[in-house]
Amino acid sequence: MKRWATEYVEVLQSAVESLRANPLRSLLTSLGVMIGVAFVSLMGWALRSLDAAWEATLSSLGSDMLYVDKWNWAGGGNWRLLMNRKNITIDQAEEVARRLQSADMVYISADSWGRTIVHADQRASGVVIEGTMAIFGMLPSTNVAEGRFFTEMEERNATAVAVIGDGIRSTLFGNRSPIGQVIRIEGRPFRIVGVMEKRGTLFTDFLDRMVYIPLPAFFGLYGRYSRSMTIAAKAQSPDQLDALRDELTGIMRAVRKLAPNAENDFSINEAQVFRDQVANIRAVIWGVGIGLTALSFLVGVIGITNVMFVAVVERTKEIGIRRAVGARRSSILVQFLCEAMMLCVAGAVVGVIVCSALVAVLALALRESAAFLLPLLPAEIVLVAVVISIAVGIIAGFVPALRAARLDPVEALRYEA
Amino acid sequence: MTTQPLIVLEGITKHYRMGDEIVQALRGIDLQINPNEYVAIMGPSGSGKSTLMNILGCLDWPTSGRYVLDGVDVSQLDDAALAAIRNRKIGFVFQTFNLLPRATALKNVELPLIYAGVPPQQRRQRAIAALESVGLGDRLRHKPPELSGGQRQRVAIARALVTEPSLILADEPTGNLDSKTGEEIMQLFERIWREGNTVLLVTHEDDIARHARRIIRIRDGRVESDHINPTPHVVEPIEQQQ
Ligand SMILES: Nc1ncnc2c1ncn2[C@@H]1O[C@H](COP(=O)(O)OP(=O)(O)O)[C@@H](O)[C@H]1O
Ligand SMILES: [Mg+2]
Repeated sequence: MKRWATEYVEVLQSAVESLRANPLRSLLTSLGVMIGVAFVSLMGWALRSLDAAWEATLSSLGSDMLYVDKWNWAGGGNWRLLMNRKNITIDQAEEVARRLQSADMVYISADSWGRTIVHADQRASGVVIEGTMAIFGMLPSTNVAEGRFFTEMEERNATAVAVIGDGIRSTLFGNRSPIGQVIRIEGRPFRIVGVMEKRGTLFTDFLDRMVYIPLPAFFGLYGRYSRSMTIAAKAQSPDQLDALRDELTGIMRAVRKLAPNAENDFSINEAQVFRDQVANIRAVIWGVGIGLTALSFLVGVIGITNVMFVAVVERTKEIGIRRAVGARRSSILVQFLCEAMMLCVAGAVVGVIVCSALVAVLALALRESAAFLLPLLPAEIVLVAVVISIAVGIIAGFVPALRAARLDPVEALRYEA
Repeated sequence: MTTQPLIVLEGITKHYRMGDEIVQALRGIDLQINPNEYVAIMGPSGSGKSTLMNILGCLDWPTSGRYVLDGVDVSQLDDAALAAIRNRKIGFVFQTFNLLPRATALKNVELPLIYAGVPPQQRRQRAIAALESVGLGDRLRHKPPELSGGQRQRVAIARALVTEPSLILADEPTGNLDSKTGEEIMQLFERIWREGNTVLLVTHEDDIARHARRIIRIRDGRVESDHINPTPHVVEPIEQQQ
């Protein structure tokens, strides 16, 4: 046992030495592995970031929430058909909310997209004005970073107060506190009482550009019947979602007076609708990533095999010497396998370091537009990359190492370069 | 006191196949060598000296015949067993030194001990002692290209001695050295022999062979003559340096 340990410590040392004896060649040889490891790491990182974005989406929209809307959020369905749907009126929405039994909580909201709001001489455009209810502020997924949400009293009185998204805060106020400041929406003054936490994700980046005002105040700005309402209903638990959907569908059909054979003229949306999008992106990352990774490792294996063959020929004499002083065939095999592995591990280490730097820079540079990007490579991805590179080393080094081990010691000793 | 012979060769033959032709390098060698003999194997080029040395050194198998080394029949052993025997019982010295060019003198001498599984600390001590015994105590960190021919051959001798083998095998050890340096190397062999080692030299030079106490002549793969050297050329060994 100990005997072997002694020998293999030396084998590893001499493997490192022979890499150092030829640093440029080693570097070039392991380029394929380096790039392969980079692809594996970047792929893992991208998938992980995507998961993080997806998680954030789920939690910001609420995985137990259903949204009855004229529009299908997933973008599916016939655009023309959706256009022709009748708006969900406030009266219908209130009727649905009244009849609904199984929901934990219901609120009604309405949006006006692409508005411009003004504070002093600053303006923010591309803003979504949402009229909603005070109850929205009590949802677990609604987090106010600064100040507060508006109250039921303010809602009932149509008080001109607003809660703004994080993106609007930074556009209009920079680092100053916006609480108590006045913004003008459609020329009318609203006092800011709260700022939402940053919550936009890859799929819901508009969330940070929203301004929440009491629904009656919204009607004051845009009129009672100009916009289609959204009815948001929270299930008692995520597994009650199907029951809630059935109830909502039934009530909506009744309220909208649909004939029994007519199709629904509304959509019931949920956070899960983004799942298909996530799956598509995931498939693309996998496909491209696996393809490029496999290609780089293939190039790596071919390069390393070639260089190892050259090394075996160059070092024929050394092999003869080692055999003469007592190296077994297996010792020579292990020695050359170790060298091929070291080449790969060295390449992997360089690849991981370069990737880590790249990822850190990317995450920093895109922290505004793509906050879901992780600043670090996931540890297990790095581990996987190193394990793969060791496997690549063994595959690439095996045939050359076998040739080295099979050399006849007498012939090898006689060899002159 | 009856001593067991160190080497017993019985009917050793070695054939090489060269295309359709079969080269009979050894045609039946019988030989016995006792511990602590100093033997020179002589013969013209192509007579089979190196072939015999390779078999004696367990680097190669005979085509037929029996080879008993230190009481063990090694003619039937497999590769791993032969490697172990080379490691423990045989110390090689070659004409072309055969050192690892990128390794220091110390590392070169440590090499057989690595394959013997000797722990690093002890390995180092033994290698240093071996290098000191050949007068290279001040050249431990030098690499072969930084050493003279004579010094390189001393490193090789230290490497051969470091495992305390039963047999030192030297194939033309002075072939690449000038005559003065060659003579110094022969002084070293004289001393090694006097310290109790068995030394077997292969050479085609009378000047070298005359140092040995027994001379075996080979011709066409057979032993031509085998006799005690009546007038050995005794060179007083240089004193061991500290
Ligand atoms: N590997 C080999 N293949 C074929 N013939 C060989 C081989 N090694 C040696 N021989 C032949 O065997 C004979 C003895 O060679 P060798 O033992 O090297 O002689 P010496 O060392 O006495 O010069 C020569 O005829 C040589 O050509
Ligand atoms: Mg020869």
